[in-house]
Amino acid sequence: MARFHDLKVTDIHKTIRDAVVLTLEPVNGAAEHFEFTAGQYLTFRHDFDGEELRRSYSICAGKDDGVLQVGIKRVEGGAFSSWANSDLQVGDVMQAMPPMGSFHTQIDANAERQYLGFAGGSGITPVLSILRTTLAREPKSRFTLVYANKGINTIMFREELEDLKNLYMGRLNVIHILEADAQEIDLFTGLVTQDKCAQLFQHWIDIENVDTAFICGPEPMMLGIAAALREHGLDDSQIKFELFASAQPGRIRRKTGAADAATQANQTKAQITLDGSTQTITLPKDQSILEAALDNAMDAPFACKAGVCSTCRCRVLEGEVEMVANHALEDYEVEKGYVLSCQAYPVTDRVVVDYDQ
Amino acid sequence: MAEDMTLDSYLAAGGVLTNPTNVPPRYRAELMKLMATFVDSELAGAAGFADIINQGPGIKERIAAARIVLEKTDNADRVLTIMGEFGADTQRYATHHPWTARLDRNADIGATRSEHDMRLAVFNYPITGWADAVIMNLLMSGAVAEQLAEFSTISYQPLAEAFRTIAPIEAHHGELAVEEAAKLAEEGETAQLQASVDYWWPRVAASFGSSRTEKHEALRKLGLRRLTGPELKSRWQANATATLDQLGLAAP
Repeated sequence: MARFHDLKVTDIHKTIRDAVVLTLEPVNGAAEHFEFTAGQYLTFRHDFDGEELRRSYSICAGKDDGVLQVGIKRVEGGAFSSWANSDLQVGDVMQAMPPMGSFHTQIDANAERQYLGFAGGSGITPVLSILRTTLAREPKSRFTLVYANKGINTIMFREELEDLKNLYMGRLNVIHILEADAQEIDLFTGLVTQDKCAQLFQHWIDIENVDTAFICGPEPMMLGIAAALREHGLDDSQIKFELFASAQPGRIRRKTGAADAATQANQTKAQITLDGSTQTITLPKDQSILEAALDNAMDAPFACKAGVCSTCRCRVLEGEVEMVANHALEDYEVEKGYVLSCQAYPVTDRVVVDYDQ
Repeated sequence: MAEDMTLDSYLAAGGVLTNPTNVPPRYRAELMKLMATFVDSELAGAAGFADIINQGPGIKERIAAARIVLEKTDNADRVLTIMGEFGADTQRYATHHPWTARLDRNADIGATRSEHDMRLAVFNYPITGWADAVIMNLLMSGAVAEQLAEFSTISYQPLAEAFRTIAPIEAHHGELAVEEAAKLAEEGETAQLQASVDYWWPRVAASFGSSRTEKHEALRKLGLRRLTGPELKSRWQANATATLDQLGLAAP
């Protein structure tokens, strides 16, 4: 089971007005867990007024850059990205799970490959990690990046890309497509659609010799590009996707007024066992078992909090709880006393539950 | 082109998802079940074969059987690793259950699963000997090939990639079974082989499941299914019948 480890923020660099690049150093013995593959992401957690949010951000550093960096763009209404952009300070310690994801291909120092990357906005982060790593480690390979942004001033890593172009003279080609700002060539203005790709493949990109394509951006852009690539002969194993943050709303739940006094007469004593140790907790009957465990610093497993993923499953040994929703457990599991703790509210005045069974 | 496409319409249009944080809850549940079914079936299949390694008539046969055990366990691990990214406790998962447990040879459970795991029903039946193991492997490898061709295109990219890696390995297990069945047939074991075909055929066929249209449609919209169980089954039946025919055996 993946665990969270401590990462110290050693640098915060604003790459554009509303995006930061964080440099992170694993501390407290975490270093061994943060060997990464180019294109992987980190899942962070942070507590916002008692509610934990988890968010994933791609590593943007290359394997040979000697640092661990992620790029975080502020998403409107996004609690985590706003916090990272406004409140986070050098010296703070964040918590993240080890790198995950399979947005990459095998590096081969002798390979002579043609890579094609598509990035939309902050979708550049994993693609940047991949292009930095492949250009450094595959000296004969070439990389073409099609990079879509709203306008010139929202291009993350613009200078870094220029530097890389100079460093890898002739091996890195960057095509900026800007939605709003006019450019000398009409083709480079607008959105990256299936049609736009087809036009790019006519004169600007040697699509027939592309070995692998990487795409990271918003959903419609990914669909259009993938359709164009398939139309030009690439198969599924040659097209690598990374869908980024747009599917993670990340808003903090609105707090209802502090615990109703009326529920005081409505309390349950819950004995909760997790990882071999047992705590007895008093909770109101309108609080879920999972919330109660988390509130009491128990590291109870959970993920979706929607009664679906079954990660928070526990077994009721005594007493009775009621599940509000259950989309994951089968009838036979429920008969045995298994419940989804995120959906389970106590009914009796005493319950005994176990996460270890 | 709308910037804020819903995830449902993205998936229905053939989009792929790439990590646990951008997977919606219902999708996650179906994906976890699909993965658990594969992992449990591989672990149970490997456990079943482990018990017959030493019944192999010669060293080569034992090596082949041992290799199948190793590789099926390895394939289970590839998918279990992805479940781990969703929060599953992979250490506990692999050992929490007696994968060698089998029902009675004549138990009639149709397509229902056991109470304790997600293995396909067919993996609840015991193997009775070397020839029986060869036929079970031959028929089931064919079924797995159809399932994996289907799963290699599913919308969760890391899993589709894992299945694309796994497919040729499982296909090779089927080739080993065909080679061994041919040898046994040459040695005059045809009657015993045919008895095993008659036993395993309906049980493997049942593993494709029935076609519940609503359920299938929901999975199809999520990009987790394309063909229905009966469609996959008829592909398997055609291929398996041809293979058996070459061995001088008949599909029931």
